[in-house]
Amino acid sequence: MQDKIRAKARELLETGTVDCVIGYERATDGLTARPVFIYGTAGVDRLVFDQTCVHNLSKFLLDRRDKRTAIVAKPCDSRAINLLINEGQLARDKVYIIGVVCQGMPEVSWNRVSKEPQERCQRCPQRVPVVYDYLVGEPVEALPVTFSDVEQMENAGPAERRGFWLEQFGRCIRCHACRQACPGCYCSECFVDQLDPTWVGIRKDVTDNEMWNTIRAFHLAGRCISCNECERVCPVSIPLSLLNRKLEKDVGEFFDFQAGIKAETVPPFATFKKDEHLKGVE
Amino acid sequence: MSQVIAREDLSRWLNSLMEERTVVVPVVVGDMVFFRPVAKAEDMTISRGNATLGPKGCLFPLSHTMFTVEQEDGDVRVIPSSLEREMVVFGLRPCDAQGLAVFDLPMLAEPADQYYRERREKTALVGLACAEACAECFCTSTGGGPHDARYMDVMLSEVPQGYLVQAVTEKGKKLLAKAPLKDMAVQAPTPPDVPRVPTDGIVAAMRRTFADKYWSRLADRCIHCNICSYVCPTCYCFDIRDYQQDGKTHRVRSWESCQAPGFTKIAGGHDPRADKGSRMRQRFAHKLLYFPEEFNNVLGCTGCGRCVRYCPVNIDIREIISDVQKIGGG
Amino acid sequence: MSPEGALLPYVATLRDVRKLTPDVKLFSLELDDPAARERFSYKPGQFAFVSAFGVGEAPFGITSVSYRQDGVEFAVRKVGTVTAALHELEPGAKLGVRGPYGNHFPLEEYRGKDIYIIGGGIGMAPLRPVINTLVDHRGDYGRLVVLNGARTPQDLVFSDEFERWAQSPNTRVELTVDRGDEKWKGRVALIPAVVAELAFSPQNAVTIICGPPIMIKFTLVELKKLRFADDQIVTTLEAKMKCGLGKCARCNVGDKYVCKHGPVFTFAQISGFIEQY
Repeated sequence: MQDKIRAKARELLETGTVDCVIGYERATDGLTARPVFIYGTAGVDRLVFDQTCVHNLSKFLLDRRDKRTAIVAKPCDSRAINLLINEGQLARDKVYIIGVVCQGMPEVSWNRVSKEPQERCQRCPQRVPVVYDYLVGEPVEALPVTFSDVEQMENAGPAERRGFWLEQFGRCIRCHACRQACPGCYCSECFVDQLDPTWVGIRKDVTDNEMWNTIRAFHLAGRCISCNECERVCPVSIPLSLLNRKLEKDVGEFFDFQAGIKAETVPPFATFKKDEHLKGVE
Repeated sequence: MSQVIAREDLSRWLNSLMEERTVVVPVVVGDMVFFRPVAKAEDMTISRGNATLGPKGCLFPLSHTMFTVEQEDGDVRVIPSSLEREMVVFGLRPCDAQGLAVFDLPMLAEPADQYYRERREKTALVGLACAEACAECFCTSTGGGPHDARYMDVMLSEVPQGYLVQAVTEKGKKLLAKAPLKDMAVQAPTPPDVPRVPTDGIVAAMRRTFADKYWSRLADRCIHCNICSYVCPTCYCFDIRDYQQDGKTHRVRSWESCQAPGFTKIAGGHDPRADKGSRMRQRFAHKLLYFPEEFNNVLGCTGCGRCVRYCPVNIDIREIISDVQKIGGG
Repeated sequence: MSPEGALLPYVATLRDVRKLTPDVKLFSLELDDPAARERFSYKPGQFAFVSAFGVGEAPFGITSVSYRQDGVEFAVRKVGTVTAALHELEPGAKLGVRGPYGNHFPLEEYRGKDIYIIGGGIGMAPLRPVINTLVDHRGDYGRLVVLNGARTPQDLVFSDEFERWAQSPNTRVELTVDRGDEKWKGRVALIPAVVAELAFSPQNAVTIICGPPIMIKFTLVELKKLRFADDQIVTTLEAKMKCGLGKCARCNVGDKYVCKHGPVFTFAQISGFIEQY
């Protein structure tokens, strides 16, 4: 797979189809990967692809909106690209997508790679990118979708749920890494930084933290593509995906919608139809 | 003859300190370790490595009310906050204690920051020497070492009989007054080897590389997540905002990172560090150039390795120091 | 200085508010505590933080002259959250003042020199105390020219003081606007063009310039054409600030803190900054 990616990158740079290839290279631990921007054919051999390439690179495309860029995209990453195109943040013709088929990725952090695949990879509905210009890897079947983690939380009583989340948010240090890593979070002024009005302040107490995390989850409702970057980067291990997945499950049930599958479909909260009803709601 | 405290006596001693002081110890939470105040010392953990977040938050809180402003019948009072109880921080590593010594330089320079100074004066540091180095730490290249006791009040080192105890300061001696210490002939443990990073001459090399496009290339993959600044024992940038609560105004100070977009943006809209490259460069220029030039060659980095461990895109200060030496090499 | 180690503001009462332009108001404050009033002495170029309690705090150049009054004045342009809150206040309201901070214009070094003061828009605020000090000690200095520009005639900030300044010996006040109106009979031109037109001589002179970055940039070009040396051109820099003491590590341009080493810098100093402003 790695060789095919390098060959394609070389070709794209040589022909001037793109000015930059965003992919992965080896990190300083000699074990895991990190994002890399290759601007010329001389750098192409730095590109790697293996099971440590867990990062979602699609957000970097927003730093290069007017320039032609190639990007290595796993299936979840490709959904993010569709989302950004749909929301007018990217032009499809400026992006060359090197799609990579994915059999699942382990938990990866500095100098550590787990033996088991990530929990989310074990229930992944897309193992082939939903959009690409060039496909690397043989197609594999999708896995059955389950929301058992969300259901478990739904079945717990309100007091138990509240206790769980307050303990999680109590650890939040408001670094906002989750927002920075999320391809759906690209507002030029985030609500949490606004002064006028002050929706959530800079104070790091649990009520402010709760507001921050839950409002961000709501802003992603119908938009989150489950790349799990938020949870991966969180330095204090808050299970952020669980929040987003609850909303993903609800949006799926009410609107029969999943984000990022097709670039043309507008997310439910960005549409208004006069005669629209929620399923099962009067 | 050395003084030793047995492992089983350690909790007893810390518990006795709790009568008059808040005792902060490393505590396990999931697969992480945080410094937290405890009601009983038995809740602490003594792990091999270093805690997820250091004890910087004990002296420079993540967020706290500096003062309140109360208005009543046209009369306005400004009421500063203060720390009620003395504090003991137990189990910190030399890199974190050295981080506090680095903090002292800007914070205690005249006019000294009152909130930090009060906490510093009321806090005693009981450190734990490192038996092994992590893959990413490099304290010996930043003027420190795994057994460096200079910045502690009391230093403990693990030995087969328990912990070798060294009272470093008068404050430390007082703290140990009622500790169940035993006199024993014990050999001090050998410090572990710590990987080296080429920091000699880094200040001059940073000055020479300042205008290089290395910084903007490096910043390509930075996502400005702020994690590096938050896990760093020496980062001290802060934000100040007002809150209204219970009819009072709280002026709150909290951690902030120079990596955050908008860190330098003025109300009129002008932003001198709008581009990623200049923000990236600011972080390393502050630690490896401006800080040592202002404070007598003390680096703004203590080699704890946390930024290396937690950066989601592997921006590695050790690699940067190496690169800067190559590019700006004299 | 205020008990600045704790970042505590002095409590002050708003004595007077005067609207100078559609978006600029002049605030006159008096510190409540008499001992604080004694301690709060400042020089032209210094700044202070003004708090609208409950909303926030922001740094402003002090626009009054210390020896002329007990209180302190700020010219505040409504441009953000704190300034908007300040603009809502009526006389009698309580505010916070923290400072004075920063360095000052070294007027002692300008004795005997010709002084050209160039101010654009709200940039006149830190220049007003300089002009007033020079006018009050006229004999100590050479020629004085005040060139003030603004977008429109309504935006000329201290228009009620022009006459007093112009009547001072060996002093000229030159005005210009980007856009005139039916009543405006004066110059309609950008400041850099007026600098070229007036063609100041750099001989034994110093020029103090303050205004929007773009105005400074182009005016610098004209001043260099007139052969002003970098150490003859002085300005005051703006930066986002929180502490004002050089501790929060936010307002630095390279290794210089605008709050501590500035805000007054010569262009010779600014050119020597390792980081570009």
